[in-house]
Amino acid sequence: MIQDNTQQPDASKWQPRIVAFLCNWCSYAGADLAGMSRFAYPAAIRIVRVPCSGRVDPMFVLKAFERGADMVLVSGCHPGDCHYTSGNYHARRKLQAFRELLSFFGVDPRRFKMSWVSAAEGGKWSSLVTELTEEARKLGPFEAFPSMVNAETA
Amino acid sequence: MKENASATKSLRETASRLLSEEKVAAVIGYARRNGADMAVPVFVRRPEDAEQLVFDDGCFGNLAVYLAKSEVRALGKLGIVVKGCDLRTVNVLLREHVVDRDDVYLIGVRCAGVDDSGATRCAACESHDPDGCDVVVGDPVDQPKVNAEDRYKDAAEMETRSPEERWEFWRRELDRCIRCYACRQACPLCYCKRCIVEKTAPQWVESSPHLRGNIAWHVARALHVTGRCVGCGQCERVCPVGIPLNAVNQKMAKIVDEWFGFRSGQSPDEQGPFSTFSEDDPEIEIL
Amino acid sequence: MLQLTLDGQKVEIEEGRTVLDAATAAGIPIPTLCFHRAAPAAGACRICVVEIKAGGRPGLVPACSYPAQDGLEIETRSERVVLSRRMTLQLMLARSPEAEVVQKLAEEYGAVELPFERKNEKCILCGLCVRVCREVIGPSATCFAGRGADREISTPFERLSDVCLGCGACAFVCPTGAIDPATFCARPLEKIPNEFNCGFDSRTPVHIPFPQAVPNKPLIDREHCIHFKTGGCGACKEICPAGAIDYDAEDEVVEENVGAIVVATGYQLMDPGVYEEYGYGRYPDVVTSLEFERMVSASGATEGELVRPSNGKPPKSIVFLQCIGSRRECDGKSYCSKICCMYTAKHTVLYKHKVHDGQAFVFYMDVRAAGKNYEEFVRRVVKEKAATYLRGRVSKIFQRNGHLVVRGAETLGGGQVEIDAEMVVLAPALLPAEGVTDLAQKLRVGYDQNGFLSEAHPKLRPVETNTAGIFLAGACHSPKDIPESVAQASAAASKALGIISHDQLTREPTIGVVNEMTCNGCFECETVCAYKAIDRRELKDRKGEVTAVVAHINEGLCQGCGACSVTCRSKSIEVQGFRDDQLFASINSISR
Repeated sequence: MIQDNTQQPDASKWQPRIVAFLCNWCSYAGADLAGMSRFAYPAAIRIVRVPCSGRVDPMFVLKAFERGADMVLVSGCHPGDCHYTSGNYHARRKLQAFRELLSFFGVDPRRFKMSWVSAAEGGKWSSLVTELTEEARKLGPFEAFPSMVNAETA
Repeated sequence: MKENASATKSLRETASRLLSEEKVAAVIGYARRNGADMAVPVFVRRPEDAEQLVFDDGCFGNLAVYLAKSEVRALGKLGIVVKGCDLRTVNVLLREHVVDRDDVYLIGVRCAGVDDSGATRCAACESHDPDGCDVVVGDPVDQPKVNAEDRYKDAAEMETRSPEERWEFWRRELDRCIRCYACRQACPLCYCKRCIVEKTAPQWVESSPHLRGNIAWHVARALHVTGRCVGCGQCERVCPVGIPLNAVNQKMAKIVDEWFGFRSGQSPDEQGPFSTFSEDDPEIEIL
Repeated sequence: MLQLTLDGQKVEIEEGRTVLDAATAAGIPIPTLCFHRAAPAAGACRICVVEIKAGGRPGLVPACSYPAQDGLEIETRSERVVLSRRMTLQLMLARSPEAEVVQKLAEEYGAVELPFERKNEKCILCGLCVRVCREVIGPSATCFAGRGADREISTPFERLSDVCLGCGACAFVCPTGAIDPATFCARPLEKIPNEFNCGFDSRTPVHIPFPQAVPNKPLIDREHCIHFKTGGCGACKEICPAGAIDYDAEDEVVEENVGAIVVATGYQLMDPGVYEEYGYGRYPDVVTSLEFERMVSASGATEGELVRPSNGKPPKSIVFLQCIGSRRECDGKSYCSKICCMYTAKHTVLYKHKVHDGQAFVFYMDVRAAGKNYEEFVRRVVKEKAATYLRGRVSKIFQRNGHLVVRGAETLGGGQVEIDAEMVVLAPALLPAEGVTDLAQKLRVGYDQNGFLSEAHPKLRPVETNTAGIFLAGACHSPKDIPESVAQASAAASKALGIISHDQLTREPTIGVVNEMTCNGCFECETVCAYKAIDRRELKDRKGEVTAVVAHINEGLCQGCGACSVTCRSKSIEVQGFRDDQLFASINSISR
């Protein structure tokens, strides 16, 4: 079924949409473990699997906001435990600098989250998603970018 | 316009000597042309043309931008006139293998500041006397002490505004961007053969001059100069709609200075902050 | 080679050797007291005398020092020899009636009557201590002093010796245990606790760490070795017949290129001293299960006799505590250490063997006996009353009237119990070996919050890790016993062989690729790459002139993390399978 997702969401039925970039070896496996262990967490989160948190270009985060994400999460292995040794260290530098830049431009930095979730932390993953969904709900829909003038709508 | 006779004389002599001794194929410097309110770039190929070279407070441009062009490098070994800010740019070009140290002859010139109205960069300059050149000309110049507050003044001023004020401000500014990419053309460190905005499969940045794509362009530009920009100020100077790019550049430079202790352009051997890391890098609210 | 006749037997021996050497080579026993292969022979005690019948001046000579000669005819136990030895032994027995070596020989030679004045000296004045210290070690700390009946071994002016190194060589060669360097050495002497026996006995600096060591060769503990501390001694090197000792040997760093690694770093036990209620470290009779193992082992400090550390007597009652640190989420480890229930059952049986009339108790939470025949074993222990099993935990261990009192809960009976125990054995939690998380980071292998190394998949890939070519076996992965460790090790070995036995390696294709047309040659990617997989490639035109130097990714080294693709400003690197357009497509479809 092809879904038409170009309509503006009905404000009364709005549910937060969190786009999450999870590294394959730690955070994605941790989310998988949460599933295997039957921990429940809100369906607000939509996951993009990447090999490493170091694969996440800050422009991906911006693109997610442009396309309507209310919150973006990037989650990787704990520092020191990266499957690729240092990918998460590079992600830490670039993505935090990017968050500062967003904040400098006036975007609420609370909409862009980062976390370290290991493959054994199924419990942490489900608590984290529950917490972030609550926060996203409080922050409300992030319409700034989708409503901006762009090539498609100009 | 304030002339600098001593520097001008030395530049002409140095260039003439280098060219007649065939030490360089060309000297890139500044000249005055009729009617221009600023000094313009000039490529001097013959010793007798060295007379065209000048140095005064209208020498705004960052001549290092020419070193990034392959057709210029193809001329052979290049002499280049560099102020302190330009020299720091050359250091970044060297560390990024754009040009070899053996292929440039750096003619440093002591500069007390140029007059391109609105430039805080000269007030915060710490390299009035460029260090690391093959030769330095010009009379000694005072080097006042500069601290971080002066260096990142424009960024700091922006940060005193509330997030809502900032959002309003930047929406308005970036809406005016016409995507002429003059900032990109003027920046010596924007030398990519194919810029990210020219990549269409996939399209990273929408190319039409509308706000959403404009923001994406300026975010990409800011990220790409992080840890590399030396604050030469050319991007803001050439912007036809007057977007305050220095503030953005300073903000990124402030981040890498405060978090990683890094300042760009100090030496050709440094490694940029985005290709290195420390296990003890600061973490701000990582869950 | 010389030829001599011993007791009618023809014996060949090299020139320069003694009659004793010839007898030893021929298998003819000659008793000695003042002879030790560590020290030069002196012929002092006269026990080794033998009779020359022909080939030399007839009479009695000391075999330990008399040089072998061609044509000697010797009787080692002629009547004259026996008489001589008997008299010597009578004299020695009168001086040192308690010396076991003298007693044994005296009995053999019928030296019973002692027509001499009695003394009670341990020292038999053999002079071995003096000779070894002078000739082998060097400092010559002791010497003979006095004359006649007052002859004794002493230090100069009977002062504490400054030159004595405390090496203990004199005590080592003394046949009667009469000398102890601690009595005259000016340095404070400490015994080195034997780590393998958990400190219950001591060892020398030159030692084989444990009986089954591989290689089964001695090593020198530099920290305690006298030679390394003072430059003196050096006895081991002198003695060694193979010349195998090299004091100048240095640690070497060896680099090997390998195709597979098996990590089997094992475990260590938690220190139960953190739980003050059990009194470990405070009461000597509270020991860990590993210490108990060493105490009952035939190669242990007491050669297998189980004795209380406090008074050296066998414990009449013993209490075993399970789950010390395991299954305690709040202040210990949340997991079960798996092996303790079974080894405790084994220990109760061992205890019963050693102390027939002893009483053993086990405080347990659950008995985990899931392996083959394990349950039946524990049932037997309970049925045959090797131990009384009490279901409950212990709240406190304290001292009363010279024994320990173990106070705990007995949940099946529903009350509190107090047991008078002469010994308590704690079963501590199993932890991964020291330093394993550092190793794991170097190998890029994952580990959990307890430090146990992570397998690639708990069900389907239990001996592999997420890093290709690195495998796990044994307790480094999770607590397990010997049969399971062996099974895992076989599995890991076969997986490792699987890698190195093929001509070609298959690998994931999700690696990076450089667009050489758009690459600017800044090489920031080269700096970022954790695997040094990026190098520089010259692009040439038809004339062979270099037109550009661009980045190139080595397909064998690249692991596909994508850090380079993010660092690249011109987006000239794509990671196959995780390309920018693929990720954009995901982002576009799920953001709204």
